[in-house]
Amino acid sequence: MSKYGVSITELKEEKYLVDALREMGYRPEVHPEAVPMNSYYAEQEAKQANIIIRRHELRGACGDVGFARRPDGRLTLIADELDAYHGYGAKWLGRVQQVYKEKQTLAMARARGYILKKREVIQTKEGQQVRLQFAVRR
Amino acid sequence: MQDKTITITIDEQGHSTLDLEGFAGRSCDRVFEDFRGGDRVKLERKKPAYYAGQQIQQEKSQR
Repeated sequence: MSKYGVSITELKEEKYLVDALREMGYRPEVHPEAVPMNSYYAEQEAKQANIIIRRHELRGACGDVGFARRPDGRLTLIADELDAYHGYGAKWLGRVQQVYKEKQTLAMARARGYILKKREVIQTKEGQQVRLQFAVRR
Repeated sequence: MQDKTITITIDEQGHSTLDLEGFAGRSCDRVFEDFRGGDRVKLERKKPAYYAGQQIQQEKSQR
């Protein structure tokens, strides 16, 4: 082995985030300019996001869930605090990041000529892992 | 010569682990950057093979 690294997935590319959400069964709205999200409490300050999944698509959710574009280019999760307890918190975001990273990696590899040799899904105590193995074109 | 392989393991906690085999020196860094894809690096370790490649390059340039 020559190099080993661990990184934290940053959601930056809208295309792969939208594709990931679609694969998870949602129909996300995409807005170049952030638009208001619906929340459970009418008196709450309206949150805005660029990519929005409406409440009716989110089982058990109190409000919409979205992703807002930050000045540094990242897309960050926007959700009611209550919804973090209703299944749309860190765990849900981790699954979104997983699907996003796989899509981004496969697209990059195709574009740069890496060859996909194997795709495995591994069950671990911490959940499912996706393992992709590539070779370099000679 | 050892085959060059790249293994990326993506978990459900938002982390990905990248393991490069058979690479050395600058080509190793280039491939690492391709697969990192703009993500924040939490840990990065170079293996002995990485330096072995650099040593060969240095020896060539000294000749």
